[in-house]
Amino acid sequence: MLPRDSVVAQNISVMAQAIPLVTRADPTATRSALTEGYVSQPALMAHGSFDWLQFRGTLNLEGLTLKRGELSTGGYGEGYVDRRHPHAYIHEALIGAQRSIAGFEGSVFAGRGFAPFGSDDPMARPFEKFPVNHHLAQVLERVVAIAAVRKGPVIGEFGLFGGDEPTSPSASPNFSRFGDSWSARLTVLPLSGAEVSGSMAGVTSPEVHVGHGLDQRKSSVVARFSRQAPDSWRYGLLEYAHTDERELGERVNTLSSILGEAAYCANGFVVAGRLERTDRPEEEQLADPFRTPRPANDLSNLGISRWTTVTASLSTPAARLGIAAMRPFVEVARIAVGHGSPAGIFNPELRYGATRMWMVSAGIRLRAGVMHDRMGRYGVALPPMDMGSGVPMSHPMPDMPGMSHTSMNATSVGKCTL
Amino acid sequence: MLAAFGAACSGDATNGTTGPSLIPSSCTGINLGPRPSSLSLPQSPPKSMAILGSGLEADRYTGEIAVRGNLAYTTTWQVRKAQGNKVDIWDVSGSAPQLVDSVIVTSAITTGDVAVSDDGKLLVVATEPSPGSIAVYDLSGDPRKPQLLSRFTNDQTAPGVHTAELGRINGKLYAFLSIDPSGAAIPARLVIVDLSAPASPKQVFMKIAGAPYVHDTHQRDGLLFVALWNDGVDIWDIGGCGTGASPENPRIIGNVKTIGGEVHNIWWYHDPNGSKRFAFVGQEGSGSIGASSRGDIHVIDISDPSAPTEVAFYHVDGAGTHNFSVDEVNGVLYAAYYNGGVRAIDIRGDLSVCQSSQQVTDGATGRTRCDLRLMGRELAIGLSNAGRSVYVWGVQYVNGSVYASDMINGIWKLGAAK
Repeated sequence: MLPRDSVVAQNISVMAQAIPLVTRADPTATRSALTEGYVSQPALMAHGSFDWLQFRGTLNLEGLTLKRGELSTGGYGEGYVDRRHPHAYIHEALIGAQRSIAGFEGSVFAGRGFAPFGSDDPMARPFEKFPVNHHLAQVLERVVAIAAVRKGPVIGEFGLFGGDEPTSPSASPNFSRFGDSWSARLTVLPLSGAEVSGSMAGVTSPEVHVGHGLDQRKSSVVARFSRQAPDSWRYGLLEYAHTDERELGERVNTLSSILGEAAYCANGFVVAGRLERTDRPEEEQLADPFRTPRPANDLSNLGISRWTTVTASLSTPAARLGIAAMRPFVEVARIAVGHGSPAGIFNPELRYGATRMWMVSAGIRLRAGVMHDRMGRYGVALPPMDMGSGVPMSHPMPDMPGMSHTSMNATSVGKCTL
Repeated sequence: MLAAFGAACSGDATNGTTGPSLIPSSCTGINLGPRPSSLSLPQSPPKSMAILGSGLEADRYTGEIAVRGNLAYTTTWQVRKAQGNKVDIWDVSGSAPQLVDSVIVTSAITTGDVAVSDDGKLLVVATEPSPGSIAVYDLSGDPRKPQLLSRFTNDQTAPGVHTAELGRINGKLYAFLSIDPSGAAIPARLVIVDLSAPASPKQVFMKIAGAPYVHDTHQRDGLLFVALWNDGVDIWDIGGCGTGASPENPRIIGNVKTIGGEVHNIWWYHDPNGSKRFAFVGQEGSGSIGASSRGDIHVIDISDPSAPTEVAFYHVDGAGTHNFSVDEVNGVLYAAYYNGGVRAIDIRGDLSVCQSSQQVTDGATGRTRCDLRLMGRELAIGLSNAGRSVYVWGVQYVNGSVYASDMINGIWKLGAAK
């Protein structure tokens, strides 16, 4: 029995959050400006551990509050376009085990959640609006089994999952498809608070629930830095994500994204910026110009568009009351759209009446409980958090019984907690 | 075996037949006629089909075409400057089609398919997306002024009617509707509608079908060929075999899975000598509308309708096929080929027999087929000299002319290949 095991006892943490906000998109798919209000990202998160057994769950309630989708010019996926789709109610529900054996730390997790691919879920990043590349850079809400091994600064993960993406917040996954897709991610932790990862995935027919749609071969390279102290935070992420869509084994579409984002917090003020250029496949539309048929009526698209978005965000210090916090923010995005390759028949002037657009949002992050630092990694794949001392908090401290590896990645209190 | 091919190919280039007529045991009501003779054709570069004229539709993307007499009806698709809720009516008596009128179909984003009944009295238009329907128009007064008789929609057609083909069985007119899938809960399906009282269409049959789509049907002599995407081609007895089957009570005779799947459309060829051994299958692969497309023409031998076999194919690099029309007297198949324009293929004779140098073995399946191009059967190409990009959806041969519906430009009138 290794010393580590002796300190992993019972632990549970729970967090609730919601982001009431107003967004103005000018113009958007209606060829006019729209202003709308929502409660975005309402979620209950919990994780717990009992000895070697771990649980992680996220109940996402956007199916109740964002049925029409959230204005997000350039965003797409799961039958929505220029609106972000509501996520599945069961966003994450996994159980797993974590052990140390012969100097290796290992974990296995299974359930519904993130496949080991790409970068963190945007929900756990400094911006309220998701980037356009969400469906290029993450693979989520899948029935998945993940094995991860960590040795020193190197983490390897492999996941098997079902390729079908959700068709609605309440729709059941196609369990019969479990195992038709895979992903693998290798992460290196060269410095405290820094990580570099590369991942690949083969996703079978993500957009057709019963299969027979285009398959995807995905790759991603991510460099991430995050160093947090009680009253400051520095964060940066640089990401390249690429997806080849394949038909009968041959590449038919290529979609790429490059994204950089950074945030700095001092005295509770958080300023963040993001620059992104992402390709988007254009699809047929329904009577609602923000919706596309799922599944599509065939395997063709209307061309590829290319989105360049600059986003700036400013948050004021959080007001706290007990375990609850509320942090106001404002977010401004300037968006340019042009032809990708091939252009097809996509014409931004016809769709939007413009090639340059604004999106402005203001809202309040409401949160109660222990914030989860990362989203999209499980068990030993969750790198340690740098708490500002330059010493990674990767291992439970011997004199802190009851605090597991996972819980140390949760930021309980801090002026810079989002 | 090679000697046999050599002998078979040594005959002269006439359009004869060999052997007795065939009445298949699986469908004794159908006489498939004698087997056609094999032909040996010289290799020569395809000609260009003469462009006689065009009619421009710039506000909407053009869809399918149906020509009867001196009138052509073209549907419209998705959203350009305006949505595809319009059927254009063209006078095609001259060289250049003249737009004479149009019909607006309410609540449609796409009017993807159009057909005229064999007696010329009805025009039927399919609509997508939800609420999918067929609009039935009376042409018996003035075919330039279609009069709406009825609009048929119900729960089964709600996701969208992709195609609507017409056929007469025992004197009664039916529409065969291919219905789109929707979400995870509503699979694709085939709906058969009794149009004997066109003012009050009545659904008489429904079957969930297709993996994941059923895109089109082809009815002739009481057999219904059903395009089931990756489930291949079904042949249904709906009255032709003399077994008591009917559109209300179809009987599945056989199925063939063509190489690559993605079965979109079918044409059962009856040659002038009474041979009915071959059917042509269109494969609709992926594409970017206006830029690229994929998918071959597959030839199936239905001498045994309970076990059809694929015997030949036609491939165009960088382009894929869509709908067909056949000049059966001269044995020419005209295929819409999207960005590849129009292709005219000589389909006389026995297409299952070719020299070994004209055979190609498919790498994925190991199956060997005759290559129609290597057999010298590529007669002509249309619209390669149009002077602008084309994307041809449908084609129809009528009395020495070929009419093509071009999604980008409207309608073209071409001279026949022979």
